[in-house]
Amino acid sequence: MLNLAIFLPLLTALIVLTLPSSKPALIRWTALAGAAATLIVSTILWLGFDPAGVAMQWRTTVEWVPSIGASYDVGVGGLSLPLITLTALLLTLVMIHVLPMRERVKGHAFLFLLMATGLIGLFAARDLLLFYLFFEIGLVPMYFIIGIWGHEERRYAAIKFFLYTRAGSLAMLLSFLGLYLAMTPHTFSLDAIIVAQPLAGKPVAAGLALLGMLIGFGVKLPTFPLHNWLPDAHVEAPTEGSVMLAGIQLKMGAYGLIAVMLPTLPQAARTYGWWMLALGVVSLIYGALAALAQRDFKRLVAYTSVNHMGYILIAVAVAALAAESSVRQLALNGALLQAISHGLLTGGMFFLAGILQSKTGTREMARFGGLMSKAPLSSALLGVLAFASLGLPGFSGFVAEFQVVGATLSISVWAAVFIVLGLVITTGLYLRILVSMVMGEPPADSPKLSDLSGLELTAVAPLAVLSLVIGVLPFVILPIIENGTRLLAELRF
Amino acid sequence: MELWAIIPELILAGLALALVPVAGWARGRWQAVPGIVAAFGFLAAIVMTARMLSWTTPFPIFEGTYAIDGFSTVFKLILELGGLVTVLVAHSYFRGHSALAHAPIAILLSTLGGIGLTSALDLGMIVLFLQLLSLASYLLVALVRGDKLGNEATMKYFIYAATALAIMAYGLTFLYGLTGSLELRTIGAALPAADPVWIFVAFALFLIGYAFEITVVPFHFWAPDVYAGATAPIAGYLSVVPKVAAFAGLLRILLLALPGGLANWPTIIAILAVATMFLGNLAALRQTRLKRLLAYSSIAQAGYLLMAVAVADRVPAALGAIAYYLTAYLFMNLGAFVVIAQIERGTGTDHIASLRGLGRTAPWPAAVLVLSLLSLAGIPPLAGFIGKIFLLSATIEGGLLWLAIIGIINMTVALYYYIAPAAQIYFPAPDRQLHLARGFGYQLSLALTLLGTLFLGILPAPIMTITRHVGELLR
Repeated sequence: MLNLAIFLPLLTALIVLTLPSSKPALIRWTALAGAAATLIVSTILWLGFDPAGVAMQWRTTVEWVPSIGASYDVGVGGLSLPLITLTALLLTLVMIHVLPMRERVKGHAFLFLLMATGLIGLFAARDLLLFYLFFEIGLVPMYFIIGIWGHEERRYAAIKFFLYTRAGSLAMLLSFLGLYLAMTPHTFSLDAIIVAQPLAGKPVAAGLALLGMLIGFGVKLPTFPLHNWLPDAHVEAPTEGSVMLAGIQLKMGAYGLIAVMLPTLPQAARTYGWWMLALGVVSLIYGALAALAQRDFKRLVAYTSVNHMGYILIAVAVAALAAESSVRQLALNGALLQAISHGLLTGGMFFLAGILQSKTGTREMARFGGLMSKAPLSSALLGVLAFASLGLPGFSGFVAEFQVVGATLSISVWAAVFIVLGLVITTGLYLRILVSMVMGEPPADSPKLSDLSGLELTAVAPLAVLSLVIGVLPFVILPIIENGTRLLAELRF
Repeated sequence: MELWAIIPELILAGLALALVPVAGWARGRWQAVPGIVAAFGFLAAIVMTARMLSWTTPFPIFEGTYAIDGFSTVFKLILELGGLVTVLVAHSYFRGHSALAHAPIAILLSTLGGIGLTSALDLGMIVLFLQLLSLASYLLVALVRGDKLGNEATMKYFIYAATALAIMAYGLTFLYGLTGSLELRTIGAALPAADPVWIFVAFALFLIGYAFEITVVPFHFWAPDVYAGATAPIAGYLSVVPKVAAFAGLLRILLLALPGGLANWPTIIAILAVATMFLGNLAALRQTRLKRLLAYSSIAQAGYLLMAVAVADRVPAALGAIAYYLTAYLFMNLGAFVVIAQIERGTGTDHIASLRGLGRTAPWPAAVLVLSLLSLAGIPPLAGFIGKIFLLSATIEGGLLWLAIIGIINMTVALYYYIAPAAQIYFPAPDRQLHLARGFGYQLSLALTLLGTLFLGILPAPIMTITRHVGELLR
């Protein structure tokens, strides 16, 4: 079943390639059907998942390159299942959103489906070489998506995106090779490496390996000072591209930090824990301040990602530093929930930003004023997403950030103070969005605009609803997340 | 006479000799005959060579001057495949050109020289086969007469090669002088007792010949001009076959004649690897023509391979890594050159700007070109990715972590110029029709290289069972 979830998008992509370009509607509906089928399969995975289980579930292990100890080894745990489902969900919503598209649809559908295979495979991989392989399959299509369907500065943004992320992933590859060579016999198996802890007694090697992974996952997350590619890529990418980029691709970094870096190098993570904590706090504050300075709505949302992803690095650092396993688990629960919540909310935000841009031809917030009177539905959704993003109780963001702050308090009061400071800034930020865009009288030269169509509503509304569901009823997802974080919290740090 | 052990060599040599009168006599459509015969000859040679993989015990033949071992068999297979693809491309590219009948003969002879070099155990044989390899290569470059750029390329190639090979032969005489033997294994046994200064002089001099063929910096400067002046199929051939043969020859002489890292060769090779990678990659960044771009890219690729050569005496896996990477390199590099040949024949230019809109007008060649470039850049799940994993892992295992890090930095730099043509191919809306040359030879070689690039990346195990025979080196 898991293999089906990984390869169904790829299979659909190959089917799409054989369809005639002259029938764009057929291609669009085929791609949507493939995405929806993937979502159904991942729901079956969800329903069949045993939250009390100790081992990876839906496991498949096949030899791939036996002579170097690499295998096709996939399985889901509590850390990966929510992200796999989120991938399938966002893919489906994106495919709904682009249904009316009629130009160059073949390559478009192919690249998005190929990317989905990379992303789902990445979250399922239990072998470092396989992980790296899926990591790249998830990344490379995005380069073409930005470059072909993006806005004015697309080539610059695409190249920048590609170079940054590839440089990061090569650093990560070096760390993987270090772990691989430290194992006897050499193996890329993630579970074997976690059990054996090959770099436990070698602080220098472990430190270097940690640095490599921090660079690799940090670029993807992104954390200050590796975030520079993000605003350009998000702004220039087409709507559906930014949704996938913010919604899922940033989580590759989050997942890597939590599920790969932390368990393979726990002691090195503890040694450099304070540095990571500081980096996380800086990212959080920096992202908030930088967002505050933006006038371009899409760019603003892009910078809030830097802010929101700061929580994840903080939580990872807290988990490495904390003495009690309960604090660790609290921090990691918060981190993973933040990843999911950010995927839902920022995915929704980018949908709205893109829809508004395509309707009005502008991303300047100042030109939107008084959206409420012209487009009540868009305004309502924007309001819900903004309040959810600023951490209002009742939404997923609150549950996540509350747990991270709680865990941080037991490590460092100062770090917690800074987080709260960041929260204050982001609150102001989102209120500013609402005041300048939604409320008030529309300016004289404000563009004409129609409200959301049924199709657009179908693409955005589920994200807001899910965020509300997780916020009000966290127990629908927490047991599954705890299944993954429980094992992590018991590691020797 | 152990002629049964050199059946592949006999096939290639026999065909080359038999085809000379045919090529002179053939007119009109009969001119395609030598190419077709050569293609089947290469196929037969591949089959006969593959049969030798099962001979697991290495043995010398011809009074100990010629080695029959897994090491040479694997490299021979790579060389014959390179020859086969080139003959196929040439079949379509040279249609209606006087070179159509002659090119396959030169390709046969030059590949034969390369094959001999992988097995040669004797200093005289080494010089002989290197000369055969080079002489036939001059012919290939010179095939297009009357073209100013082509003439320049031929002259440059000839003069540089002749000088480099002469210096190399001079260096080899030192080995004879120091040990009194022409046979590599005897030299290896006697050399540790010799004066280290003279060993180093000999090493430095004979290295130049191999470095020239491999395009090691600072002996690389001929490559961009010669590739640019030669026709695309020949440039592709030059970027693969002489390089593979010289890697095999270099490894054999280093491991057999200079055992235990005599003359500090691992360190020297490591330093040369750094220089080669950096120069190749940095120079490639500024290129606007595809053949020059790939020339510098192939210099950088040689640098990656040198990383593993530097640890070849310490790490058993290094030889396998080199053989696997060279196989991957064969498919991805030739794949790119096949498409360039189509573009060059169709439009008369190889400017990167001429790629505009290729993705629309010719989706399949465009996809092969992009995949080949991505594979050269090391992006999974393509051949170059697994190959780079093997090279890097061997380098780190040999204790040269710093070299692997420099390699990684270089692979990052290289991304830019590998992805730039892809941007030209897909990003701008096509504003004009681009005419590609079509032909059966192109299609066949496109399919072959694409399959190789994908297969070696996705399912490495079957090819690894072949390339690991490279460890069976006659010592």
